[in-house]
Amino acid sequence: MTEQLVQQLLNWITLGSIYALVAVGFSLLFGVLNIIHFSHGDVSLLAPFLALAAVQTVSASLGGSPAVAAIVLAVLFAVIVTGLLGVVLYYLVIKRFQNAPAMMALVATVALGIVLRELIRHLYPQGSNPHAVPRLVPGSIEVLGVTIPAFNLVAILVSVLSVGLLFYMLERTRLGLHIKAVSQDRDAARLISISPARIFQITFFIASAIGAIGGLFFAGYAGIVRFDFSVDVGLIGFSAAVVGGLGSMPGAIIGSLLIAGLDTLVQATVPNGASYRLVFVFLLVICVLVFRPAGLLGRTIVEKV
Amino acid sequence: MSVSVTATRRTSGAATALSIVALTEIGSAAFLRQFLLAEDWRVVVGLLGFFAIVLVALQRLPTVEARIEGAFSAQGRFATLLGIAIVLLFPFLLEKSTYALHLLIIAQLYAVLALALNFQLGSANIPNFATGASYGIGAYASALLALNWDVSFWLALPAAAVVATIFGFVLGVPSMRTRDSYLALVTIAFGVVVHQLLNNLEFTGGPNGLVGIPAPELFGHSFASPLVIFGHSLPSQANFYYLSAALVGVSILFAARLHHSRIGLAWNALRADELAARCQGINATWYKVLAFVVDAFLAGFAGTIYAFYVGFISPDNFTFLVSVTIMTMVIAGGMDNTLGVIVGAFLLTMLPEKLRAFSDYRILFFGVTVIAFLMIRPQGIFPQRLRRYGG
Repeated sequence: MTEQLVQQLLNWITLGSIYALVAVGFSLLFGVLNIIHFSHGDVSLLAPFLALAAVQTVSASLGGSPAVAAIVLAVLFAVIVTGLLGVVLYYLVIKRFQNAPAMMALVATVALGIVLRELIRHLYPQGSNPHAVPRLVPGSIEVLGVTIPAFNLVAILVSVLSVGLLFYMLERTRLGLHIKAVSQDRDAARLISISPARIFQITFFIASAIGAIGGLFFAGYAGIVRFDFSVDVGLIGFSAAVVGGLGSMPGAIIGSLLIAGLDTLVQATVPNGASYRLVFVFLLVICVLVFRPAGLLGRTIVEKV
Repeated sequence: MSVSVTATRRTSGAATALSIVALTEIGSAAFLRQFLLAEDWRVVVGLLGFFAIVLVALQRLPTVEARIEGAFSAQGRFATLLGIAIVLLFPFLLEKSTYALHLLIIAQLYAVLALALNFQLGSANIPNFATGASYGIGAYASALLALNWDVSFWLALPAAAVVATIFGFVLGVPSMRTRDSYLALVTIAFGVVVHQLLNNLEFTGGPNGLVGIPAPELFGHSFASPLVIFGHSLPSQANFYYLSAALVGVSILFAARLHHSRIGLAWNALRADELAARCQGINATWYKVLAFVVDAFLAGFAGTIYAFYVGFISPDNFTFLVSVTIMTMVIAGGMDNTLGVIVGAFLLTMLPEKLRAFSDYRILFFGVTVIAFLMIRPQGIFPQRLRRYGG
């Protein structure tokens, strides 16, 4: 009984931190650019494909099973390339919608997500089929008589570390200060010689790279990845960010934990819960927004005349 | 003397107006026919190029556009009658191509859905990613009525619309408090919940959906049998073509009446500035909920016709992507412009179908087109018009 409870708690925290990695990106991009980057989930899930391709190329050239170093390199490669891709997409598409009505940007990025998914499907070898993703960290640890997969621990640890780093960067460094300045007032920031364009680039890189880490862990957790997994990941990440309050980083984390909590709870307790999990998750989203229209930690917008 | 001169001028002006209207309508119909019957993708691309050139020309020559518009408003009755005649005669010009008729039916249903969404997105600027869900609720409600209780199509049609409307009202309630991106998420969430429930519940048939929905009957004529008019036999799809054309007609009338009523004005006021509208005594909550209700009502109608036309529905016909497609039709066609929205719906329904040559890459192509369109012409094919009063 306790073992099961611990197991479920662990699942909750693992899933929550994976969602948080994606949700934080949604919130960060909204806070700085005032835009909903709906394809953020699709960008994030490019990373597992990039990592798989990298590992295969490396192991093909070396022969035999890939070494630990190769895997680590492939993961790093995937994270950095995904981050750069985020910047490229910003310049190609999203930049044009920065000053357009909010719905334009939303529809455009939904279409961008479709394009990204289809590109994986057509360009990646056998892109329509699911691809097995090896557990990045095999093995397990025994704590107080309960076996805990090392993967979950690493996932939680890395998530906490990356989000912590993001917080440190935003709160304690000059760059963070610049990002905040641009998010508060673009023109005033320009007056004190901060280049908004550069800040947007950096924000896109950070958000996409963190999303990529989330995407990698998501694929590793599921053990499998397919081109259209990003629909659910994107929707849940976006929901977590909105439930927490768009633009609020702690909100995104709370939202992710809340959604992951309900997700695990439903799967563990409700009969046939796996097929109804999205119903419960999105009913929760509606309920939260009915009672807290600006999300849990979002600031209510008071319109002044 | 001078009186007779002005009189002849007037008649000659009326004659030019009549010929402009006739030329425009017949030309558009001929274009649509060629586009529907084109098999070769090069012809399709050529026709699309021609369409683009005409649009650019109209944009460059505002006087021509104003002339055409003036002719239409001067000869409104003639334009309507000729339009109805063309719609009625159109199936006879399609060389009995069932595929062309099928495309037209689907395009008309999407036109109704896009007009429904236009009340919200276009008139009041309320995001709604759940039109596809309302469409699905209408289709499932009518199909369940027909399959379980043998309810006829003509009864199921209003019943399904009422069911969809109730759901639309429920969805509208959160809109009293949330807005913009938050409201967009509420509607997305609603759409996902509906889709997941349809996919998992027992009585909706799960992922397999509902099969064997009977074809409607009217005065003993089954809609599944060919339509014979004056000795001309049309494929059975023609029945549904006329049915959906009638629904489009009703929707256009509905849209026009609403647009010119206090409700349409109130929606526009909400779009311009919600706070200012509230200060003018407009009950913002009520009008927002009303927009959701109207959207769901029309979508329910379209869903019923779809269910009875295809005879088989599954949750995959009503995904989030369908809602996004409808949204794109409204934006690409031109928000708050009835003609634009219909053109957008026709274009975006037929484009992927006509590009079968690239069948594998259709969805990719669709996504790229949408992004390119939003970048190049964000105001839509036919941009929003200012309201005109007097004359």
